[in-house]
Amino acid sequence: MTQPVLEIQHLKLHFFTDKGVVKAVDGLDLTIREGEIVGLVGESGCGKSVTSLAVMGLVPQPPGKIVDGSIRFQGTDLTKASQRELRQIRGKDMAMIFQEPMTSLNPLFTIGNQLIEAVRAHRSCSKAEARELAREMLEKVGIARKGVLDEYPHQLSGGMRQRVMIAMAMILNPRLLIADEPTTALDVTIQAQILELMQRLNEEFGTAILLITHDLGVVAEMCDRIVVMYAGQVVEETDRYRLFRQPRHPYTQGLLLSIPKLDEQKERLYAIPGQVPNPYQMPAGCRFAPRCTQVMDVCRQTVPPLAPVEQGHVSRCFLHQKEESHHGTD
Amino acid sequence: MALIDVRNLKKTFPIHGGVLGRKVGEVVAVDDVSFSVEPGETLGLVGESGCGKSTTGRTIMRLYEPTAGEVEFAGKKLFQLKAEELRQVRRDLQMVFQDPFASLNPRQKISTILEEPLIVHGLGDAQERKEQVRELLHVVGMNESHASRYPHQFSGGQRQRIGIARALSTRPKLIIADEPVSALDVSIQSQVLNLMMDLQEQFELTYIFIAHDLSVVKHISDRVGVMYLGRLVELAPRDELYKKPLHPYTEALLSAVPVPDPDAKKERIILSGDVPSPDNPPQGCAFHPRCPHVMDVCRETRPIFDDAGGGHFVACHLHNAKA
Ligand SMILES: Nc1ncnc2c1ncn2[C@@H]1O[C@H](COP(=O)(O)OP(=O)(O)OP(=O)(O)O)[C@@H](O)[C@H]1O
Ligand SMILES: Nc1ncnc2c1ncn2[C@@H]1O[C@H](COP(=O)(O)OP(=O)(O)O)[C@@H](O)[C@H]1O
Ligand code: SF4
Ligand code: SF4
Ligand SMILES: [Mg+2]
Ligand SMILES: [Mg+2]
Repeated sequence: MTQPVLEIQHLKLHFFTDKGVVKAVDGLDLTIREGEIVGLVGESGCGKSVTSLAVMGLVPQPPGKIVDGSIRFQGTDLTKASQRELRQIRGKDMAMIFQEPMTSLNPLFTIGNQLIEAVRAHRSCSKAEARELAREMLEKVGIARKGVLDEYPHQLSGGMRQRVMIAMAMILNPRLLIADEPTTALDVTIQAQILELMQRLNEEFGTAILLITHDLGVVAEMCDRIVVMYAGQVVEETDRYRLFRQPRHPYTQGLLLSIPKLDEQKERLYAIPGQVPNPYQMPAGCRFAPRCTQVMDVCRQTVPPLAPVEQGHVSRCFLHQKEESHHGTD
Repeated sequence: MALIDVRNLKKTFPIHGGVLGRKVGEVVAVDDVSFSVEPGETLGLVGESGCGKSTTGRTIMRLYEPTAGEVEFAGKKLFQLKAEELRQVRRDLQMVFQDPFASLNPRQKISTILEEPLIVHGLGDAQERKEQVRELLHVVGMNESHASRYPHQFSGGQRQRIGIARALSTRPKLIIADEPVSALDVSIQSQVLNLMMDLQEQFELTYIFIAHDLSVVKHISDRVGVMYLGRLVELAPRDELYKKPLHPYTEALLSAVPVPDPDAKKERIILSGDVPSPDNPPQGCAFHPRCPHVMDVCRETRPIFDDAGGGHFVACHLHNAKA
């Protein structure tokens, strides 16, 4: 098995606001190995973006604070790294692309300028060399148009801007690329282009990718391994085949049943009852208990541990422990 | 007989520019769109962002003044109605919007929001209206205790239920739903889709369901129309369209949808290039710069939107010889 590039252990990141404490990430474990594409899925507000921002060292503190856990990137604990060390790592060994590329492209500078800056911030080389690298990278991401280096972000379409973002993230050949909803703002035909591009870069450069999305179709097509989050915690994790064929956690099971699919026609969709918990008032035991159709007494009092259900498959649910004790294998 | 018949609908928006804000061009947001919807039917409209789905819905509602075309709804020619007549027709014709927050007045209580259409249309006295509001809340799976709260106190899914309840209040015949579940999480999305389907049965509703998600549209629609750059390029019964798409754009669009099944084998058609700007659509077939099957004729002549058999309409030179 290949080396881990990123190893998050028991991460707790809470926001301390006037209205109370939001436990946005509450005891998260996540490992990404070299060259792997890992999907992080879950509903709006479950803590996906906060997780990625924590890795990048970009969470505003205050109100945010890492209250526990570690984030090891190629051996260094990022939670203990200085701003200077983080800046060194960001953009070079670890890069991020966001849902809305306009928020991370500067409207006042040309595409060429921004790419050249990105290179020269980490590598000593001449402007001309950096410009040549930028041109090559734009070609790799499928922007062949000559003049783009001298154009401004607003002159490009949404799909092209996202390609520029990917070019900027990939230009120094990082070990890890974090992509937070990289195609959510794009149309499906453009999404298909961008996903294909990310897959190609992963194969060509061996870049590990953490792909954050709420689209189960996207993870099924892109990811080796999938991590499902609910209300700040990982509830299930396994490879994509097992996740879709044999989901074990009641939330994952419900989620998979509630999406309409192109290749089948159902009279009615399954609907998970209720709604996600208020972030200021998380349920005491299992966070899914108020919506779970199989809830038991213990679920309301105790937080279930994230435990293996088989080799390479973990789930956070008391049902599995019950099964096990039934089988007497405990 | 069709409940609504849309004929050659066109809507352009002027583009203003320069210091004087003079008109420098125009966007053809909807271009020669025709379709009809039978009572009790759901017609889905899909297409990528900016292709004119919302503008089609809004122009039918006369929230935008039409540039050309005609809409006949329940025997009335909508674009010829005077203000008072239009107000009466609106009782039977309601709309649900994508962003339930933006479409609900933040300073009004839910009870006021739901009662307002009843007052506007002079339906019932105060007591009856109160009873109605209670019933509407129940119909969409909420209750009286919610009536005295404000929109911001609800989740996205609940706000969308309120938007649907408001649209239902006048007991309409047709509801135009513009991306009603696009802003919702999947687990909430299926709740709202189920609700809409139940209500359709209960109240014999007819829907025009606008969305960009092809799986959602497939789930809820009887027939589906595909738009590209302001034009309807294909329209067919649901299963026919998803199993045997005729238009190259529909084919590419369907092949691009990521499938939540790692075992699915898919032939993906990756289109090159971006969607062109609607202020300067390509000549001939608007899809020709991206079409893998483009022919000479496509660059010059616009294909006619025509029945290729069995109510399967398509606008493509590959399928219509008459052009
Ligand atoms: N700066 C902040 N201050 C206070 N709370 C915050 C802050 N940033 C995020 N949160 C809270 O942390 C939780 C997790 O948010 P996060 O942005 O990670 O969600 P997400 O999973 O990325 O959702 P989406 O799918 O909508 O992008 C939410 O309850 C959110 O309101
Ligand atoms: N009020 C408006 N003024 C000017 N242009 C508009 C207006 N509404 C829509 N448009 C333009 O019309 C086209 C179709 O838009 P729209 O109907 O909103 O697309 P869709 O709903 O399919 O995403 C787009 O180019 C859009 O920018
Ligand atoms: S721990 Fe209990 S409430 Fe939570 S998912 Fe499992 S069965 Fe449901
Ligand atoms: S008319 Fe021509 S360009 Fe247009 S979709 Fe058909 S084959 Fe392609
Ligand atoms: Mg997010
Ligand atoms: Mg729209």
